[in-house]
Amino acid sequence: MPDIIKGDAGVMDALAALCTQPNAIRHTEDSFGNGFHWYTLDRADEITGAAKILKDAGARLAIIAAYNRQGDANGLMHSACYEFVLKGVVYGVTVNMDAEHPSVPSITTIFANADWHEREMMELYGVNVTSHPNPRRLFLDEELDKGLLGDIVPLSIMMNGSTSNDLWERILSDRGGQS
Amino acid sequence: MSSSTFNLPLGPVHVALEEPVYFQLEVQGETIRNVSLTSGHVHRGMEAMAAKRNLVKNTTLTERVCSLCSNSHSFTYCMAVENALGITVPMRARYLRVLAEEIKRIASHMFNTAIQAHIIGFKSLFMHVMEVREIVQDIKETVYGNRMNLAANCIGGVKYNIDQELIDYMLRALEKFEPQVAEIRDLYLNNHNVVTRTKGIGLLPHEDAISLGVVGPVARASGISDDVRRDSPYSAYPELDFKVIVKNECDIHARTQVRLDEIFESINIIRQCCAKMPEGAHCAPMNPIPVTEACARSEAPRGEVFYFIRTNGTDIPDRLKWRVPSYMNWEALGVMMRNCEVADVALITNSIDPCVSCTER
Repeated sequence: MPDIIKGDAGVMDALAALCTQPNAIRHTEDSFGNGFHWYTLDRADEITGAAKILKDAGARLAIIAAYNRQGDANGLMHSACYEFVLKGVVYGVTVNMDAEHPSVPSITTIFANADWHEREMMELYGVNVTSHPNPRRLFLDEELDKGLLGDIVPLSIMMNGSTSNDLWERILSDRGGQS
Repeated sequence: MSSSTFNLPLGPVHVALEEPVYFQLEVQGETIRNVSLTSGHVHRGMEAMAAKRNLVKNTTLTERVCSLCSNSHSFTYCMAVENALGITVPMRARYLRVLAEEIKRIASHMFNTAIQAHIIGFKSLFMHVMEVREIVQDIKETVYGNRMNLAANCIGGVKYNIDQELIDYMLRALEKFEPQVAEIRDLYLNNHNVVTRTKGIGLLPHEDAISLGVVGPVARASGISDDVRRDSPYSAYPELDFKVIVKNECDIHARTQVRLDEIFESINIIRQCCAKMPEGAHCAPMNPIPVTEACARSEAPRGEVFYFIRTNGTDIPDRLKWRVPSYMNWEALGVMMRNCEVADVALITNSIDPCVSCTER
């Protein structure tokens, strides 16, 4: 597949060397022929190595998407997908955080524009980013708890308390499953 | 902070700021030495809301991230979903999507240009640009029924269609619009009052623009030739001819020039769409939802918009994350404002065409 989907062979080989787990590499393209290459790193601390490979090739960091993995069968806590753009091709590099590797190092010293992305995932998702040069909050006041947005109960769920279990399951979950 | 400098707070509510941002300016006399910025005053938690809604409802939600580039959000979101689900959009829908996008781009660039005149204090120019912009607002209202949120996009294509009568109306409106924008461009590029406030001010050198990863007209005015429409062509853009406007002056004036020149490129693109749009379906059916990750990019008026989606086999996404162009451009203000006068802060801020509602989502 990689030979028919657009991409930089040198970058793809170097990133592939950091991903030895089964199904850790995926190559896709959209219906317009734009290439997307997806890599899941063996360890979260390898993100700095992956970032350096992409920086040296002239890539631009476009986005970091963090998400919760609580309840995952493999015991993952968080994942974060770093998307880079190089010559119109997207390289997505995912890191997983679990109890053994609960944090991810900052890449702000490699890509200056990682600053806001990393501060946002620390603030809104409670991801532990180490060695960030400016780890203050980005959006919310310092006095608010971490991971606050996880506490949101949409108005539609509150209003439909009598016709769905969503609200009550939420309350039970917050009480540790006690009825 | 040295003994000769002091901190000057600006915002979050200020007459020259359209939306709330708080600047902490370290100034020496009238000269800015350092800038720090605090946002979050209107954070809405929209990404968390998106993970509670189904894929179809999220089209409506994402269109409400921002008003000026509302179409770019639903457009790019739909492309991300289509990439995840393997949906191929029919050719007519691709043209209709580009049509809506370019109409919005013109209106957005006109608005930013008008606000610049407003900040300078050139009220007659401000009113004139807003009046000419009304021609484009009328197009939106006539074709889509709305002046801001067009509700044009849906997963698989578009929700609207146009006939020859509407095409003729649009082309006539653009005939009327184009020469008036040419006059406006001439004013912005040559009028003494405008030029003295914009030339050589708010500099973002090419190297800083690369290092900060800025996008859109801010990047293109600092010599970076990036445009998703050309670099990763999508929708009908591969079939259309247009120029990517790049300037090397790196100042407010260059950013204005890029936006004004891009209006003419958008007019050209709309005319090509009207001439080349094939007949046929305007929407493809949904496919089954797999467990996967996908992303999509587009060139919004302010620059690259990036959507990332993670699906779990149900119609509610595990994660929907988007990165707006303003998010990349805010930090450039620290470079642009350094060693500028306090009086230029609002003008420099406007030159990145900032969107707080986009940034804070």
